[in-house]
Amino acid sequence: MKAVLIEENYVDKDYRSTYYNFYSKKGLRYRTDCVRLHFFDGTVRFDRKTLRLVSSVDQRLTDHYFGYMVLRPTGIVTIGRTVLSPDVRSGARGRIITANHKVHVLGYKLEVEGFPSMDQHHDIAVCAHVACWSVLRHYSEAYSIYREFLTYDITMMAQEFDPGGLVPSKGLQLSHAERVFQEAGTFPVLIARRKDVRTDASFYRQLLAYVESGFPLFAAMQSKQHAVAIIGYEWRAPLVTTVRGMRYAWDEVESFAVVDDNTLPYLSIPIKGGVPYSAEDVDSFIVALPEKVFYPADAVDRVAPTLFKLRHLVDLPAKDGVVIRYFMTTGSGFRQFVRSRESEFDPKLLETIMSLPFAQFIWIVEFATKSQWAVGQVAARAVIDATASLMDVMPLWLMHGYKKALVFSRRSLDFRSGGRDLQLSDMGHKGYTRMEQNLRSTRAK
Amino acid sequence: MDKKETDVFDVVEGLRSVDPDALEDFERVMTDEVIPEIVQTVEERRMLAAEYRELQLKP
Repeated sequence: MKAVLIEENYVDKDYRSTYYNFYSKKGLRYRTDCVRLHFFDGTVRFDRKTLRLVSSVDQRLTDHYFGYMVLRPTGIVTIGRTVLSPDVRSGARGRIITANHKVHVLGYKLEVEGFPSMDQHHDIAVCAHVACWSVLRHYSEAYSIYREFLTYDITMMAQEFDPGGLVPSKGLQLSHAERVFQEAGTFPVLIARRKDVRTDASFYRQLLAYVESGFPLFAAMQSKQHAVAIIGYEWRAPLVTTVRGMRYAWDEVESFAVVDDNTLPYLSIPIKGGVPYSAEDVDSFIVALPEKVFYPADAVDRVAPTLFKLRHLVDLPAKDGVVIRYFMTTGSGFRQFVRSRESEFDPKLLETIMSLPFAQFIWIVEFATKSQWAVGQVAARAVIDATASLMDVMPLWLMHGYKKALVFSRRSLDFRSGGRDLQLSDMGHKGYTRMEQNLRSTRAK
Repeated sequence: MDKKETDVFDVVEGLRSVDPDALEDFERVMTDEVIPEIVQTVEERRMLAAEYRELQLKP
């Protein structure tokens, strides 16, 4: 990042929402407008005479644009709505949930891929409000079914009734954050870490699974009384030593990326022992799910290792040293992924995947050997119905390895007579590509 | 006249019925162990969530 364009007198809708409902009611006079900073690389310059942005390389300004930051006229904690590309944030690493944000300046329409962040206002919004706002602003940019909520809306949505005197000086409880997500039209699930075990590995496996599914998480830390949004992760370098037993994708995570209202976005936090905190300080999180997700990650976490009971029907790798990874996606997202790599799949298997009447949301379970994990490949994959019931004995649509596939059409409650197998031909590869569709890799610039 | 619903099994050639006995072990483990554990875990998480809802975040 080499150039900053300063846009004065910028009308920021988020600040205005707090101005109209809070700052304008105070004795101290506040300005109504903000300043917005736009960030570019060194090839873009501003021509004052013509008010044009000129690139010395080409006219695709978006390719040289890294996002914006609003500065509020509030005197303290002035960083307002910000969307920065993770590529220009020092220390941002790994894979991050982003959406495409459109930006209008000087008659140009620019775009930036990033995740929204801002400082908390202190007086009208605290860390929990900001974490909710970040997640919901991402949703409104990424998915057309969600509307946009401004800072003041979030503050009001947290309360059952207008408490008057909007100062949230009594703080916020997790139930308030849950309420915000409900009011926004999502179906929030609050998942808390067990206190009776030293390490609740299942809790962290689920946390990773939801992030890998593209859901930014509202994460709370009881010890810090703090809330952030978890929006990405980084894999650790592949292990060179031999590992016994089953491993999970969670065991391969080096760090998480968070949006914290006390720092610039994309803060990287380690699994343990980090300053100001680490992933092990997170003891609960809220995932704002869409409708029609009935089969929880807790169930997938338990069913995934049980799938080895079907090894006589589908070729799975050895349990010892296997890495299990699970996440949620849409049926159409899965088909799109398979279509983009159709040479990896037996034509009959591809036809089956394209023809199965998947529900809108499905859980994918991937099984990889240690060497496959290191190169981003998997040996086998299972597709679980995300609309299945907890009591469902056979929640599978499909499971396949290299040689065999097991298929269920889920058209009948009698799964015993509804199973089909399929012999697969050798497609001449040593692993299917790991499905990593939902997050964007950071490319440092 | 009702049109018969097309099933994936009618569309894809080469799919063969699985002997129901081959699914028996999986069904037994799911019924006797996995599903009761899932139900218990989900209930425990629900109770834990109820405790955490009161968690105060910094003003």
